[in-house]
Amino acid sequence: MTQVEISINVNGRACVVTVPPRMTLVDCLRDVLRLTGTHVGCEHGICGACSVMFDGEPIRSCLMFAVQADGHEITTVEGLASEDGEISDLQDSFWECHAMQCGYCTPGMLVASQALLSENPDPDDDEIREAISGNLCRCTGYQQIVEAVKMAAQRRLGMSS
Amino acid sequence: MKAAAFDYVRAVDVEEVCRLLADAGDQERKIIAGGQTLVPLMAMRMARPGMLIDINDVEGLSFIEDKGDHISIGGGTRQRALERSGIISQRLPLLAKAVRNVGHIQTRNRGTIGGSIVHGDPSAEIPMSALALEGSIVLRSASGQTETPLEGFFEAAMVTAIEPDQILTEVRIPVWQSERTGTGFHETSSRQGDFAIVAAAAQIALSRDGSVCRAAITAGGVAPSPVKLRGVEKALIGRLPKDLGPALDALDDEIDPDTDVHATAEYRSRVARRLVARAIMDAVSEASG
Amino acid sequence: MNYQKIGQPVRRREDTRLLTGQGRFSDDWSIDGQAYMEVVRSTYAHAMIRGIDTAVARSMPGVLVILTGDDSLADNLAPIPHSPLPSTKHDMKLQGPNGSEVFIGNHLPLPTDKARYVGEALAIVVAETLAQAEDAAEAVLVDYDPLPAVTDTAKAAADGAPTVWEEIPDNVCVETFFGDEKGTDKAFAAADHVIDMAIFIDRVTGVPMEPRAALGDYDAETGRYTIYAGSGGSVRQKREIAEVLGVEPEKVRVISKDVGGNFGTRNRLYVEFPLVAWVSRKVGRPVKWTCQRSESFVSDYQGRDLVTRVSLALDRDGKFTGMRADNLSNVGSRMVSLSPLSKGSGLITGSYDIPVAHLRSRAVFSNTAPTNAYRSSGRPEVTFAIERLVDTAAAELGIDPVELRRRNLVSSEQMPYLNSVGMTYDSGEYAKNMEMCMDLADWCGFDARKEEAEARGMLLGRGFANYVESSIGTPREQAEIHVRSDGHIDLVIGTQPSGQGHETSFAQVAAEWLGVSVEAVNVIVGDTDVVKVGGGSHSGRSMRMAGTVIVKAADELIDKGRKLSSLVLEAAEADIEFGGGKYYIAGTDREISLYGLARALEARTDLPEYLASGLSVIEDNVMETPVFPNGCHICEIEVDPGSGAYEVVRYTTVDDVGRAINPLIVDGQTHGGIVQGAGEALGELCAMDPESGQPLAGSFMDYHMPRADEYPSFKTALNEVPSPTNPLGVKAGGEGGTTPALAVLVNGFVDALRPYGVRDIRMPVTPRKIWELIQAGS
Repeated sequence: MTQVEISINVNGRACVVTVPPRMTLVDCLRDVLRLTGTHVGCEHGICGACSVMFDGEPIRSCLMFAVQADGHEITTVEGLASEDGEISDLQDSFWECHAMQCGYCTPGMLVASQALLSENPDPDDDEIREAISGNLCRCTGYQQIVEAVKMAAQRRLGMSS
Repeated sequence: MKAAAFDYVRAVDVEEVCRLLADAGDQERKIIAGGQTLVPLMAMRMARPGMLIDINDVEGLSFIEDKGDHISIGGGTRQRALERSGIISQRLPLLAKAVRNVGHIQTRNRGTIGGSIVHGDPSAEIPMSALALEGSIVLRSASGQTETPLEGFFEAAMVTAIEPDQILTEVRIPVWQSERTGTGFHETSSRQGDFAIVAAAAQIALSRDGSVCRAAITAGGVAPSPVKLRGVEKALIGRLPKDLGPALDALDDEIDPDTDVHATAEYRSRVARRLVARAIMDAVSEASG
Repeated sequence: MNYQKIGQPVRRREDTRLLTGQGRFSDDWSIDGQAYMEVVRSTYAHAMIRGIDTAVARSMPGVLVILTGDDSLADNLAPIPHSPLPSTKHDMKLQGPNGSEVFIGNHLPLPTDKARYVGEALAIVVAETLAQAEDAAEAVLVDYDPLPAVTDTAKAAADGAPTVWEEIPDNVCVETFFGDEKGTDKAFAAADHVIDMAIFIDRVTGVPMEPRAALGDYDAETGRYTIYAGSGGSVRQKREIAEVLGVEPEKVRVISKDVGGNFGTRNRLYVEFPLVAWVSRKVGRPVKWTCQRSESFVSDYQGRDLVTRVSLALDRDGKFTGMRADNLSNVGSRMVSLSPLSKGSGLITGSYDIPVAHLRSRAVFSNTAPTNAYRSSGRPEVTFAIERLVDTAAAELGIDPVELRRRNLVSSEQMPYLNSVGMTYDSGEYAKNMEMCMDLADWCGFDARKEEAEARGMLLGRGFANYVESSIGTPREQAEIHVRSDGHIDLVIGTQPSGQGHETSFAQVAAEWLGVSVEAVNVIVGDTDVVKVGGGSHSGRSMRMAGTVIVKAADELIDKGRKLSSLVLEAAEADIEFGGGKYYIAGTDREISLYGLARALEARTDLPEYLASGLSVIEDNVMETPVFPNGCHICEIEVDPGSGAYEVVRYTTVDDVGRAINPLIVDGQTHGGIVQGAGEALGELCAMDPESGQPLAGSFMDYHMPRADEYPSFKTALNEVPSPTNPLGVKAGGEGGTTPALAVLVNGFVDALRPYGVRDIRMPVTPRKIWELIQAGS
């Protein structure tokens, strides 16, 4: 078995691609679909840089083969902004708080933070730190990421109240 | 870090899985469910199965059902589903506490209860809590179905008694009916989400007079596989859980810690004593409250 | 000076692309038809290479070529021209033993004689896909003849150690003495107290989150190599790659855009970069190589690894009267950089006025991955030594550690201060840093917090450290400024950011000087066809070097523009003033903006020769004088005596970075620096098996990276004392977080455990170590 044809929905777009079974989902996203926003940091499931939304839940795309994604929906960092390209309130909070330096972990951090806020709209510092503890960042010391997630939560709460 | 080549089959039912496993011949065939342990092993080429049988689409492997005296959980049930389940939090609070310590949200969204059990890490949280409660598992193969108690299933570090032609379809964990039941789960790892260096799980039921009438206790990371602490349990029964000393003294005979890069045997044993004590105290305090 | 844009927390210009997945990191580059390279690495720490059998591997599916060291010699590939000896005017100069020239050794892209460490590249495989290249690499058979190996720093320098290089039988490649030996002997002979410690700062590695990667593309028609590869500075990469390939520098173009962290790890050239270029020519296709994480743990240049013996002489009043140090740095198997040893050598006396000191600085080869500068190269090591020594002295003499520091600090009045090994500190208010930090840390509330913790059965320790570090770096930098008629300004500069926000902070400086908006300034780095000159980013040099040359270039541009505007406005140069991005004639409505002027000049063909390049300037600047960022950090750590588990509960800093151009960025640098230093103090270690030399940390499962849930939020403040050495008063903000963190934390642990008789703890401090110390002491 050398190649398998799969259909995946990526950022709202239906894609049909042919992949060898041993190709991971992250390699498929980056090398086949050329969506290079999702990053590879370890390929053994620890660093979280490759986090994407899979059927609406955050997963590590290095711990899954692309063939397993056949028929499923994936959202990558490229799909976090709105259709017209306007960045989300979470992305904007990351920007305002300087929650990234080199930016390599940022796509994974955004996915992890987005997943947290959709479940817990008003997280405290400890909850934020726990939610992003599966994502390694070597630059920021994490503090400005925590501040950004908090700011995004407050903005959303402010909007809804 | 690219896996060696393999064939891939996405199975539709348990029968197909069993047939594929039975027909393996010389080829190593592996079931992939969550893949959170298997995929990194394959990426590092420490595992190189010739065929992966994907059970994510297999009907009837993902469920959580209250059967009265026990909870029945499909082998393919995601860890995240356990974490979110009202049945689990109300009826199996020990498992609920344990599962929150497994990996991170991203891995719990894929990882399954069955995968965690058949993998058999000596300090993995789910096997420890299922073992404490005397859970059992249902294993299917082309030649039939058997129910196996978890006690005795974990043979050594990363080695379990599942046969190469078997699939774990269901986990059954008894529910305690007693009103005055409490649970405790503690672990020490160099950080959360890693496999625990040492961990302890306890579920305790109290009589009206406050003495222990039932105890389920396990420790992880203190032997090649998780240990059900029968001696500690026995020493607690009928006693008021004030002085844990005598019960904890039984611990040393039941564990066989090893020294490795993370910890010495002596450290593991001392920490185990402390964590077991904390888990019991938490359980007792919950049961009395 | 009252600035409008400098000093503001401007949102970063680079972030819009990084937030939306539009960044361009090294592995993001792809060219149709590219093949993939896999590296076959030594599995022995030390072994003769008897032969490499590639027959089976060559016949495997997709394989295009397999090349070994013999092939590279046949094609005349040259060794990497590392320049390990720090050589700028103010660097501490190092020599070989007995004043000899330092032996460097050839760093061939693929060695042919022997493998000197686990992970050394021995052969390369190129195939249609990366998975196929990995399949074939497994089938390459290297015939090794194993030799005894040594990895431990002290053992490598001991008698009878296995020899890494035949030319240096005892492995000791550097031995240099600094300071005043006789004077120091006298001070020690007269001392009332002498405190002596053995200090170990073990091996760690930088772990930028983006693994190294390179895409090589050889164009047969032009004979030119293009290498897409992130690093600490493309100009150096280009020069050294050309030298390895044996071609003129013009035949090599290096392009990098976004770089996912560096911390020193990427400063120097690695073998894989010239190898992808070379093999691209061999196979006639672009070839990509991306380091795997487990591969980076054995093949990245690593950091620290210093052992030292330090002694402090004190008089009866607790005044420091002399210091001795004996520093031994492990350079690994190949000498890539002596920066850590040299940098540290200049700062052994730290923030203290110690009248006389003597230092022996040695470097030793071993069968380990080469070492290089790693965040704050050399300074955390010596800061650790002096601050541990001072704390120990305080404890053993029964003097309050803060009081002991106060008595001995270098005072502001002494600035510029020449220390006793020959470094001149430019400026600083060390005593004020301490006072500010103690206030911010609620120093006086500690006793109550400790009592509260003890009531819960916990121990609370407090750690304290001052630091001073040096920012030297390559002294030359160049800036080009081009005003574009469409309304923006291009600023070309030879530094290479890897997260420090140069596109923003440099734009702030240029915008300030030129009176334009920050958004209008487009900072261009990283492509050697555009950026011809540049020193790269290391040693905290970038903001200071770039800031200075940008200001110089902007002044030059404004002058030139005045001459040009006098032609356009037909007015005397003396009547034309510049402000707010415009030239104007006071008292009239005649004015022209920089952009308007650029537009006006496009139509003109009558410009005199010396103005013909229009509103563009290229300026060079050479600045040798170093600066000395400094500060004070305080932490509190709660320890559970029953298990040794601990939590860092408070961490407070005051840093003097000179003038802060963008405080938001400086804060981020401080936070990240603290955690990077803390990572080393609390968990990171490149553990090696002492017998076989095998690395035991080969993945994130066994190398403990700091995580978000392990740290509190920090309280940080700045004490900005502008440096008198450069027009903006910049020092540096990148290393201050890391420099004292090791010392602060270990001082905190020792403070917590002093009731158990603990005098010292070797890093990384783990719960198990604490627990064992408590057991031994109770």
